[in-house]
Amino acid sequence: MTVRIGWLYPDLMNIYGDRGNIMTLVQRCKWRGIPVEVDELAPGDPVVEGRVDIFFMGGGQDREQEIVYRDLLEVKGAALKREIDLGAAALVICGGYQLFGKYYRPFEGEELAGIEVFDAYTVAGKKRCIGNVVATSALGGPSGTIVGFENHSGKTYLGDGCTPLGMVTVGFGNNAEDRTEGAIYRGAIGTYLHGSLLPKNPGVADFLIEKALARREEGVRLDPLDDALELKAHDSAVVRARKTH
Amino acid sequence: MRFATRTALLLGKSIGSASRAFKFGGGSTLPGRVARRLDPAFVSDLVKELPLGCALITGTNGKTTTSTLLASILDRAGMTPVHNRTGANLMAGIASALIREADAGGTLAGRLGLFEVDEAALPDAIAETSPRLVLVNNLFRDQLDRYGELDTLASKMKKAIVTLDPSRTVALNADDPLVASIGAGLEQKVMYYGIDDESYASDTMQHAADSKHCAACGGRLEYDYYLFGHLGRYKCPACGASRPDTDVAATSIEMLGMEGTRCTLRFPGGTADLSIPLPGLYNVYNILAAMTASLALGVEPEVVLGAVEDFTAAFGRVERVQAGNRDIMMILAKNPAGFNEVIRTLTFAPGKKTVMLALNDNIADGRDVSWIWDVDFEMFRGRLADVVCSGLRAWDMALRIKYAGVGEMSLATEPDLAKALDAGLIAAGRTGTLYVIPTYTAMLDLRKTMVDRGLVTPYWEDN
Repeated sequence: MTVRIGWLYPDLMNIYGDRGNIMTLVQRCKWRGIPVEVDELAPGDPVVEGRVDIFFMGGGQDREQEIVYRDLLEVKGAALKREIDLGAAALVICGGYQLFGKYYRPFEGEELAGIEVFDAYTVAGKKRCIGNVVATSALGGPSGTIVGFENHSGKTYLGDGCTPLGMVTVGFGNNAEDRTEGAIYRGAIGTYLHGSLLPKNPGVADFLIEKALARREEGVRLDPLDDALELKAHDSAVVRARKTH
Repeated sequence: MRFATRTALLLGKSIGSASRAFKFGGGSTLPGRVARRLDPAFVSDLVKELPLGCALITGTNGKTTTSTLLASILDRAGMTPVHNRTGANLMAGIASALIREADAGGTLAGRLGLFEVDEAALPDAIAETSPRLVLVNNLFRDQLDRYGELDTLASKMKKAIVTLDPSRTVALNADDPLVASIGAGLEQKVMYYGIDDESYASDTMQHAADSKHCAACGGRLEYDYYLFGHLGRYKCPACGASRPDTDVAATSIEMLGMEGTRCTLRFPGGTADLSIPLPGLYNVYNILAAMTASLALGVEPEVVLGAVEDFTAAFGRVERVQAGNRDIMMILAKNPAGFNEVIRTLTFAPGKKTVMLALNDNIADGRDVSWIWDVDFEMFRGRLADVVCSGLRAWDMALRIKYAGVGEMSLATEPDLAKALDAGLIAAGRTGTLYVIPTYTAMLDLRKTMVDRGLVTPYWEDN
């Protein structure tokens, strides 16, 4: 049973160390003896039914996001939504997260339609939300928290069709208003915590791997790993986040 | 695109994805090797998709620095390069770079092919890419065991270069007699670069003579002075050959120790003062090489100079401190490009290294440490005797090293910089060298620790 990761637009959406998330998913499968493969999905590449277990999309710069936006609308969007409804897992970050919502409303011009995986919408914000983030989350492992770094100006608001990934205790989160951070819909996670989210938050990584395996076989439980270093890095980042805000 | 090329491309892409996913290595060469085997015309067909053609950079030393700098100049000039940046510089590496940068339909993500090429692979690379520019930076003896005699190597290079269309350009280091000899009698446009300043010259060679005979007639060369190895100002009394005049040159060189090197650049149409925070004359050559290449490719001098300043600012400096019988080499690394260059430099020399990595996240370092996941710590695999992770984000760094799978050595984590320095020095052994790679504020703190301990006043490494 091979876990197949579908890395969406690796050449376009790869700022801020996003590949750390792929490394983490791959290693945590390999350490458990689970075969794992990565498909790179570029603009124009189709999403084949039932092939990919975990989709991943990182953040990008405006010019790149424009290309991605068009490809999602014309090529991949409907298929991605279908796959997630059929049980595929996904992690989408920053720009990816926004495009997985219902729409993005810029200051001027027309709304950009999203692919509606998340019942959420984003409006352009004036203030940039930058800094360390700590949020309480059910996927937060022993400490019940996730930790990371955010850098976005869009403000995202969730509807009833999805739940927040966590509630911020340090930082801004989805919109700097309601303390929510990120979104979960079935096996899909959207978040503003960019770059290396998964290494220091192994609970989130394992959630995605578990969802991937559950797609193939019921009742699979993941073998525990030695996460001492991961948790130490997590805890010290939480301390540092509190100090730097 | 031909069917065979497309098939080879798709196969190469899937091999590339698999090898990256599994980290089984070979990702920078295997896709290209397979694609070329499937379709021998793979490279020559795919480079036709590049609207601005190809440039090849070769030479024993400085290929990577030169082509990395050239890539950032071209980026700034809007001539986005497809670049074999991993240093995989045989044909398979070039083919792999093309595969990585091509989409499934064969459209490339860049406009100009910029390939660092192993000296021995240059003839094949010329045949397969029909480059508009070939640059040869230097030919040193280091490669003798691999390539046979330097003269043979140079004449093979020249034989390949003369087959190029006369409209193409060849850029050569005038100070290297063997390299300069490649330009003699060429139909193609030749541009020479070099150092027009003898203030740091000596009258003896720094190490064994690599090129003491005239490539044209075999006569013994006479040197006015040597600058770096066998590079210098020379002439052949027998046939009259001599160092060519330069189109691009560094003059008024001032080695500033801590500040790096200052010089004046002279190029067609102007001069500019440049401060280079990199040690050694060899880095002056690398900058001259990149500058000559970009001018040959049609980049405006202002664009080149701006990019050179920004690029050199991204590089660290090397500081060397003696602690008893041990040496501490401290090399600043503050971004993925600089860090990769430091790692590449460290792992280039033989032997396993003891390394201390110090990651801070103060404002001056950048609060966000995500960038360490863009550094190729995987290059350290099998090259480390010991590693100590330190700084305010010591545990983030330790986790990155765990995921890099460098294995086998012991991994110590000590956020306190002074304590970590002690641990590193002990690990380095009685007479060993500890390589310290800090971010900016970690470097400042470490320097203070060393001064407090009354270690020998730091001096700045010069070569």
